[in-house]
Amino acid sequence: MNYNTYIMETYIIKRDGKKELFTIDKIKNAISKAFLAVGAFATEETLGAILSHLRVRNEATVEEIQNQVEVALMAEGYYQVAKAFILYRQGHSEDRDTQRRLDFMMNYVQASNAAEGSKFDANANVEHKNIATLIGELPKQGFIRLNRRLLTERIKQMYGKELSDRYMSLLNQHFIYKNDETNLANYCASITMYPWLIGGTKSIGGNATPPRNLKSFCGGFINMVFMVSSMLSGACATPEFLMYMNYFIEQEYGADYFKRADEVVDLGLKRRTIDNIICDFFQQVVYSLNQPSGARNYQSVFWNISYYDRYYFESLFGNFYFPNGEQPHWDSLNWLQRRFMRWFNEERTRSVLTFPVETMALLAENGDIKDKEYADFTAEMYAAGHSFFTYVSDNADSLSSCCRLRNEITDNGFSYTLGAGGVSTGSKSVLTINLNRAIQYAVRNNIPYQAYVEDIVDLMHKVQMAYNENLKNLQEKGMLPLFDAGYINIGRQYLTIGVNGLVEAAEFLGLEIKDSPEYAHFVQEVLGIIEKKNKEYRTKDVMFNCEMIPAENVGVKHAKWDREDGYVVPRDCYNSYFYVVEDTSLNVLDKFRLHGKQYIEHLTGGSALHCNLEEHLSKEQYRQLLRVAAIEGCNYFTFNIPNTICNDCGHIDKRYLKECPHCHSKNVDYLTRVIGYMKRVSNFSEARQKEAAQRYYAEKTKAPKC
Amino acid sequence: MCILNCELKVASYDIVFQEIPGEVTLALNLSGCPCHCPGCHSPHLADDIGEVLDEELLDGLIARYKGLITCVAFMGGDAEPDEVARLAAYIKQLPITNHQSPIKTAWYSGRQQAPFPLGEGGGEASCPFDYIKLGPYIESLGGLKSPTTNQRLYKRVGDAWEDITSSFWKKTFE
Repeated sequence: MNYNTYIMETYIIKRDGKKELFTIDKIKNAISKAFLAVGAFATEETLGAILSHLRVRNEATVEEIQNQVEVALMAEGYYQVAKAFILYRQGHSEDRDTQRRLDFMMNYVQASNAAEGSKFDANANVEHKNIATLIGELPKQGFIRLNRRLLTERIKQMYGKELSDRYMSLLNQHFIYKNDETNLANYCASITMYPWLIGGTKSIGGNATPPRNLKSFCGGFINMVFMVSSMLSGACATPEFLMYMNYFIEQEYGADYFKRADEVVDLGLKRRTIDNIICDFFQQVVYSLNQPSGARNYQSVFWNISYYDRYYFESLFGNFYFPNGEQPHWDSLNWLQRRFMRWFNEERTRSVLTFPVETMALLAENGDIKDKEYADFTAEMYAAGHSFFTYVSDNADSLSSCCRLRNEITDNGFSYTLGAGGVSTGSKSVLTINLNRAIQYAVRNNIPYQAYVEDIVDLMHKVQMAYNENLKNLQEKGMLPLFDAGYINIGRQYLTIGVNGLVEAAEFLGLEIKDSPEYAHFVQEVLGIIEKKNKEYRTKDVMFNCEMIPAENVGVKHAKWDREDGYVVPRDCYNSYFYVVEDTSLNVLDKFRLHGKQYIEHLTGGSALHCNLEEHLSKEQYRQLLRVAAIEGCNYFTFNIPNTICNDCGHIDKRYLKECPHCHSKNVDYLTRVIGYMKRVSNFSEARQKEAAQRYYAEKTKAPKC
Repeated sequence: MCILNCELKVASYDIVFQEIPGEVTLALNLSGCPCHCPGCHSPHLADDIGEVLDEELLDGLIARYKGLITCVAFMGGDAEPDEVARLAAYIKQLPITNHQSPIKTAWYSGRQQAPFPLGEGGGEASCPFDYIKLGPYIESLGGLKSPTTNQRLYKRVGDAWEDITSSFWKKTFE
């Protein structure tokens, strides 16, 4: 067959996707160069013989044709030339890779904000883009490859090549998503600070001795959180922060310090009171931890703390002893918790402070919060415009210490080396199933979706087991001092199965997204499959949980990929809730119900109801909503009222306003909660900004005026 | 009590927070409004639309939000004030479950004057409402949120009615 007859109207696809009329000259030229590279010369006759092997179909890619040239050179016996040609291709490929990095860099530099510029993991908690954040972006692709290789090698070893290949195939086809693949560290942890209290930071590679007074506690705490965070890819929760701080304040000013908060204790010119000194330390810790962190590519750390009502406090710390033999005191801690919360709320009108993410833990009983005093205080703080999470449980047997951590407290014991057992938890790794794609694929291919989901979920558990083996391996080599030193209890860390696209899958199946037996059944069925597998794979060393992932980043990616592949995609960002975020027909009580006991039953890792409101409610109304949460069994929630920040004068107002009340500028931006933390809307990625705009903030006034 | 065609219809319902300060309110938007205020935000409520509001419908809605709501508000219904009062009285006599407070009642009326006496002596016996809003919507004066409004929201405190309209004008945080 003569190649010339083929090439008359043949088009090829270039690397940039553009079509071009195929000409033989470029191939001839490349082959001639390869001959010259080995000191030989290709005659017309030689070229003709080589080219006669080629079969250039219409719309063939450049890579395909070059592959054929390699084979043709070898078929004609020109092995040295073939080698030169392969090396020549490789050289060009490396050039193109560098060019791609350069292009990425230029795009990043020109992107409207850091999240939009980030190609691989836009969940970056980065306020501004600069050279430091760019340095953090560049190796991300390398990390993804490295992590995949590490994991697939281990899967092959444990379960065989077939499973490893299927994992990669499901990953590449976006049935599953591996969260935080751009980092090498395990995900997030709620730590116990006892090892630090008795041994300083030496055991995790630092040189600090144990904190001895309030000043060294606060300074040392900041360094310790930075160190711990550099060994985690996600959040670091310190649920004992205020309890420890309270201890050091008591050591300094006496156990009754809170009754004498106005007493001047500073001999310096400022004549500061106990209260002034405490607030100055709050300021030091909070502002320091909100700083961009050098070791984290200019991301600040993700820092979470907890508050407890009296019953939680007694349950968690009833057996706790400080090294000097003292027990923590509720009266002073109660005062300090309130003081910190009020201080933080006020400070947030001065500066955009994202961290700490705070969770109030309340015990429920008989359809209300048991500790009435703390219920009233919680309602008061919401009404004062403070933004924080509340965790409500019928039993002080579980605790949530950040937007993604919920654990069953199986160990409320106390140990003289590790401190309180109940606060230790975390997630080693999150692997997420895209339920919308999985269920649509199954239905289209006449496979019962339950069986298909179960099949994928089973594979996900094996993959997580492989991840766990790699982590154990790292620990055996001494690479994970947080575990060895007891900051993190590896036995209390979960392997997490994440869920995304649940609502969208239900919509595809024709279910109405509202409280109904049909929808509840669907949710329980799908999440029940995951829980069944979680139990099946549980061993004495390995625990699994399931969470609805806060999908700032993944929800947007899934929607985009699924739409490109022809699946039904009702919105640009898959929900992180059990209801449709833009649905105006659901009222606030319906939303609490949709995050109530029926729906969250199998969600062992939790999900947070972000109750979006346009305006703040009164204390009495928030108090009633706490009862609503207790009655409905909605265990984790926050109220989200966008705060207004003026781009001209910098004024921050806790209300959702169109105009700055201070300088009357209309150039305003909003602070809102995305995945647990407050951030400027203009710093979200573009798709997430769309979702935020679409969000329905329940209006307080919707009834007729007349 | 009316004898003929005294029924009320509910066009829609919602859970609201602004209309009745301090309460989590189930607001029943009643249709057939006779007021026809110029600039009305919900002119469709002048039409005869929605489901007939009777004890059965009320029972269903209240059961759905049992323990969750603290107040039921009748938004409109000025064509049949007696029927509004009758249904409010029905809510008042519903049994109270343990740990829960009785449900309060409110009426958003477009009338200038209440069809029953307010002020001194206007206690529970003569009126089944805990809150009552009076006054038509006048565009130039604005709704309750406007400090120039003609509309008034009263809260019953024991035997007397307190004008709490000014609570809508609070600008700052407590």
